[in-house]
Amino acid sequence: MSSSDEHIYAPKLRRGNFVGFKTLVMRECHRFLRVWNQTLVPPLITTVLYILIFGYSLGSRITEVQNVSYMEFLVPGLVMMSVIGGAYQNTSSSLYIARFHGNIQELLVSSMSSFEIVLGIILGGVARGICTGVIVSIVAVVMAGVQILHLPTALFFIVVVSLAFASFGFLSGLWAEDFDRLSLFQTYVLTPLTYLGGVFFSVGMLPVIWQKIAMANPILYFVNGLRYAFLGISDISLPVAIVTVLFAAIVPFIACCVLFHRGYHIKT
Amino acid sequence: MTPAVQISKLDKRYPDVTALDGIALEIQPGDFYGLLGPNGAGKTTTINILTGLCNKTAGDVAIFGHDIVDDYRDCRRLVGLVPQEFNFDVFVRLRHMLVFQGGFFGLSRSICEARADELLAEFDLTDKADTQLRNLSGGMKRRAIITRALMHRPKILILDEPTAGVDVDLRRSLWQYLRRLNAEGTTILLTTHYIEEAEALCDRIAIINEGCIVAVDTTRNLVARLTTEAVHITLAVPSTNGMLENFDDLQVEATAGSNEFTVTFDRRQTSYHSILERLIATGVRIDNIRPAGNQLEQVFVSLTKQ
Repeated sequence: MSSSDEHIYAPKLRRGNFVGFKTLVMRECHRFLRVWNQTLVPPLITTVLYILIFGYSLGSRITEVQNVSYMEFLVPGLVMMSVIGGAYQNTSSSLYIARFHGNIQELLVSSMSSFEIVLGIILGGVARGICTGVIVSIVAVVMAGVQILHLPTALFFIVVVSLAFASFGFLSGLWAEDFDRLSLFQTYVLTPLTYLGGVFFSVGMLPVIWQKIAMANPILYFVNGLRYAFLGISDISLPVAIVTVLFAAIVPFIACCVLFHRGYHIKT
Repeated sequence: MTPAVQISKLDKRYPDVTALDGIALEIQPGDFYGLLGPNGAGKTTTINILTGLCNKTAGDVAIFGHDIVDDYRDCRRLVGLVPQEFNFDVFVRLRHMLVFQGGFFGLSRSICEARADELLAEFDLTDKADTQLRNLSGGMKRRAIITRALMHRPKILILDEPTAGVDVDLRRSLWQYLRRLNAEGTTILLTTHYIEEAEALCDRIAIINEGCIVAVDTTRNLVARLTTEAVHITLAVPSTNGMLENFDDLQVEATAGSNEFTVTFDRRQTSYHSILERLIATGVRIDNIRPAGNQLEQVFVSLTKQ
């Protein structure tokens, strides 16, 4: 290009737009931190209520589950619930609202690739999932007196599950045409699967037929993976849980990249 | 010289409608270029394809020689878009929006902050820097959306109906700013419904209708295409029937006893000069004389009428 390009601020980018990507991740984090009382506090309140009701109150009448108290048994599932909800809600609402207001165009006209945009938005969701998971873990550990046996494994499950549900949230935000549809996936899929995903019970407590059905629920694997990391007990073997969670993160992430690159519901 | 924008055989087809039908357009660096057309003609579709908001069906589009698909990063760093609608996150503060936008173009935080402050001052928005966008007035939002497009100091600025719904003062000050930006070397592509705006600002104009370019020329040449002109004359005292008889070979609209009338004539057969000569010969005193209606508007209507 000629020297007349010198007045342009935006740099030529040959190896990707790392500054743009970093800016997007920061914007997404800024978005949920700005309204922390709407994003980080509610899952904390929910967890405290669950611990009070199911742990302290009803839990005291339940015998041990897999040789741990019901209160201890409950904690990893509650953490996983908050991680799933936080990651999913962040990307679904961020993307849908950006489409609704039209400010998704700020990204589309910039010199960022579709991959950088998808990864930036999803990492915002991952950051919220991790923040929520860590805060809820600290409170639950303190209230229930639980010790985390395998911290790296716990972090692995929190990060990868955040990635998986941030990707699902992205897909939902891309697909939804109105606010009602945005909540459909959460109401009809996410919430039932989460409650039936072994948060409140061991799969061995179910009738045989329901045990087989429950094995088709991926959230069962994530909850049990984190329960193993916290307590060293699980209904599912750790390698199977790890493979499942990686699969659940990678497949929807690739779908996000492909759909966004094609401009699905983004470009006319 | 590499054109600022080069479009050839550009098609955009939807299952039930053809939005663009093989359009070709070339905009030179430094041009102040107008894209005019009625609603649904394909103006916004063209702009959206140029800026990556819409996928083309066929054809080639290059910005300063860079293909918009293959070299999209190089294209987008050169282009700033001012869309028609206010498309920002209304809960974000104005200065944050600008700093983020600069970042999306790869600018460092310190450059973004300096540039944001410079633009806020230039558009008289400094005291609104920390205001959420939803709390800005319509005129402020319009200025904000222009500052956002200028954050990375683009080489070509594309504005889609930039003065729709703004008051006269703001419109005039935006015109002044755009003229200055253009004089400093920024190529400008403007779509507008206001013919007066295109005539006042643009050196060259393309008229688009039903997805096809129906005319491309300099504004002066487009206006010169008019064969029929109308002139509005005001006399110092009301005319008499006898005076108007001198013009019975032309189309004259007048109200009896009024001191105002309009003469419509074919430029190939007569001229302003001969009309004035004949008027003076009748002995009337002329108070005012001006073209009736906007000339470019007449060209526009004649080219786009069904």
